[in-house]
Amino acid sequence: MGSKHRIQITVNEEEYDLLVHPNRTLLDLLRYDLGLTGTKEGCDEGDCGACTVIVNRKVVTSCIVLAVEVDGATITTIEGMQKGDALHPIQQAFVDSGAVQCGFCTPGMILTTKALLDEFPDPSEDDIKHYLEGNLCRCTGYTKIIDAVNNAVQLLK
Amino acid sequence: MDNYSIVGKRIPHRDAMEKVKGSAVFTSDIKLSGMLHGKILRSPVPHAKIRNINISKAEKLKGVKAVFTAKDVPLIKFSISPTWADKLILANKKVRYIGDEIAAVVAVDEEIAEEALELIEVDLEELPAVFDPLEAVQPDAPLVHDGVEKNISKTLSMECGHIEEGFAEADIILEDTFQTQAQSHCSLETHCCIATCSPTDEVNMWVNSQAPHPLRQKLAAALNIDAAKIHITTPVIGGGFGSKIDLEPAQALCVLLAKKTGKPVKIEHSRKEQFIATRMRHPTISKLKFGVKRDGTIVAKQAEVVMDNGAYNSHGPAVLAYHNVMFSTLYRVKNIKYDGRLVYTNKNWGGACRGYGDPQTSFAQEVMLDMIAEELNMDPIDLRLKNANIPNEVTANAVQITSCGLKECLTQARDKSEWTAKKANRQKHRGLGVAAMIYTGGGSIGSGFNYSGATLQMNADGTFQLLMGALDIGQGSNTILTQMAAEIMGVDPVSISLTTADTDTTFPCMGTFGSRVTFCGGSAVTEAAQGLKKQLLESAAELLEANIEDLKMEEKTVFVKGSPDKALSYAEIGAASFYKKKKPLVAHGYYNGPDVPPEFNPVTYEGYPAPALVFGTHLAEVEVDPATGKVEVLNFVAAHDLGRAINPLLVEGQIEGGAAQGIGWALMENLQFENGEVVNPNFHDYKMLTIKDVPKISSLLVETVDPNGPFGAKGIGECAMVPTAPAIVNAIYDAVGVRIKDLPATTEKVFQGLKTQRSDQENST
Repeated sequence: MGSKHRIQITVNEEEYDLLVHPNRTLLDLLRYDLGLTGTKEGCDEGDCGACTVIVNRKVVTSCIVLAVEVDGATITTIEGMQKGDALHPIQQAFVDSGAVQCGFCTPGMILTTKALLDEFPDPSEDDIKHYLEGNLCRCTGYTKIIDAVNNAVQLLK
Repeated sequence: MDNYSIVGKRIPHRDAMEKVKGSAVFTSDIKLSGMLHGKILRSPVPHAKIRNINISKAEKLKGVKAVFTAKDVPLIKFSISPTWADKLILANKKVRYIGDEIAAVVAVDEEIAEEALELIEVDLEELPAVFDPLEAVQPDAPLVHDGVEKNISKTLSMECGHIEEGFAEADIILEDTFQTQAQSHCSLETHCCIATCSPTDEVNMWVNSQAPHPLRQKLAAALNIDAAKIHITTPVIGGGFGSKIDLEPAQALCVLLAKKTGKPVKIEHSRKEQFIATRMRHPTISKLKFGVKRDGTIVAKQAEVVMDNGAYNSHGPAVLAYHNVMFSTLYRVKNIKYDGRLVYTNKNWGGACRGYGDPQTSFAQEVMLDMIAEELNMDPIDLRLKNANIPNEVTANAVQITSCGLKECLTQARDKSEWTAKKANRQKHRGLGVAAMIYTGGGSIGSGFNYSGATLQMNADGTFQLLMGALDIGQGSNTILTQMAAEIMGVDPVSISLTTADTDTTFPCMGTFGSRVTFCGGSAVTEAAQGLKKQLLESAAELLEANIEDLKMEEKTVFVKGSPDKALSYAEIGAASFYKKKKPLVAHGYYNGPDVPPEFNPVTYEGYPAPALVFGTHLAEVEVDPATGKVEVLNFVAAHDLGRAINPLLVEGQIEGGAAQGIGWALMENLQFENGEVVNPNFHDYKMLTIKDVPKISSLLVETVDPNGPFGAKGIGECAMVPTAPAIVNAIYDAVGVRIKDLPATTEKVFQGLKTQRSDQENST
């Protein structure tokens, strides 16, 4: 397994100084070492997007990223979206639009949407589809997820 | 028009807030102190005798707490019904498919458990295997289960009317064969369970089951434990689509390993296990023969069906029965013959999968109808209207229909899609296709069971708490069932606290499947709420010294009409019930219907007893690239007769999700086997639709208000993917003249069809 490595990361504005095995994935670090279970494991192969988090403003599938690779990084998980009592507008848009069914893909969908809207505040439908293509959803048929992204754009204006 | 204030409103999912925050607790998020991790060793070969298993090296690995083989577990076979039981928790003498459970390891973490699996030495003597159901029924085929002749698990034969006389009446007879492929459920959350078990068999289990109450019964039987000792709790569930109904060997192993070690044990499937060793949609081969009159009247229809069961039964026999009932009940046809065989093969086994055999039968029947329409030079919608079911009829196979909006679905879908105008002004390589459907809209009582219970209590402060046997797996039942209770009690649905599917505290429910929760759970909750409302008014009448008939409920108060100033608040009534009268207000509702009619024949499935039937129409517009055969779905209309939409926002979600699952099955999803091995057990190679592949789906809600449904509602969940594939395949034919008879309609198949078409044209010129 090899000796542990020291990493320093900022997750949801909180700083961590951690010792991790070189084979520890970022997903397992978040879920099992930091208790941030909002990030989900759907496939463990980087195919489904349920484990999406934002690392230094870019979305990554945390199941195929090693914890040692993110040393020094700033990370946002679903638990870091809400500031204060009110939901983040993207979260609110997902609730209001009926874009959440079983909810297993939802954290990843919301984080990818955040990365999208941070880069393109007024995305075209093609932009939305391009960004969310890596996030699979079996429940919704995606229609209401597109509605949610469009509604989030309005709420953020 | 009924004037409801909460029912019929677009209220967001009750559980969405926790889900968007990431704080909803799914089974895999639960961590108990001292928790161990289990892993399962699965057969690497499709068919073999187990000569010997040596676990000594695995047992010695540091961190391993126990290793189990068949000799450590009860050798009690199970299935969804004891009649069909054919599966052991761990294979004893034989393995029957790649993925069959051979041994289980429990260790301090997953990595060690996985390492231990590699140290187990299994001596297998490979046996000849059979993968094709048509080969499996040949006299010399290897037997998957000793003593099951020709590998036939079940046969089902039914004839209504006189099939040969029907064909004699026909002007035209068409025959053809249609095939459908295996589909994986692909709920994003894999199977997971956590169990504790005391030395005296008190079991606590947290599990993502669609049917926790039946699971308790099945676990009790498989482990020889009293059901009352088993407490099952369902955390938030990440989708099911039928995959989470069965007792899983992993669940039984979790309990046994927890008992052995005295520690909580967690077993979570990997995505690969999900693909290779949890249930899938049964592949089918349907040979159809239809007889029609020139005016489009179908006078006779016949189906010969082979359904590939895989290695074990699961729901197979019931899926075959549904395949027959749905084939036979849709359209008004007097003479029907159905012969089905459910056949074992050495592959992963089929089970309940959204539609329960109906998408398979719908594909065959609805493509056949398209072929008939072409033969008659008749509009495919007119052909369906000509033969459509009508309200309050008893069909040839003795099924009682109550509400029925099939004709409305057909005509509304036609209008919404601009079918007539688009057919008149055809665009090259574009086409429209239609398909209709029927399904049960409140489960059925063919098995003798269709139960769901509810308890509604008024608290001392005037608030309400609801205990439901039914559970939400993402479809939205928590929202709509509290809407129904809130409508009757005159409160905000969010204010009603809710406990669901906890086997120690709630009345039982058969589970979330069969599009049954709205109807069955809804019937239970409305009965409970009406009972509680009666108690509330009786109590208020006594306190106000008034007659019940003179009372009015408004704004969480009760008062004598005309005297709102002397109103009693719900809190005052609640407090009086607990502290003065010492008789808390609580009411139960319990549904288990309909009564089984004498016409029901459990061998042929004539007179199949369902509380309500639902109907629908899907209409697809596609464009086919003539150079490549690639199909793009441009527009999609889905019209569904669902009685009443308790919550249109959530209903649309069901329809959009179902249609997407149906489009995936139509065009690309295919769980592929080579010599019994799944060759695409991951999301990279098993293609489900992404956001880029889904067209705009227009939902049309046809509200027929069923006389028996709660607020007139019927089910929707499974129905939404039933007629999708034939609508698309019929649209492909309309676009380019290529008739796909075996799913999926891949780019390659359409391309081959176009190529054949071109060479035929060249040969004829």
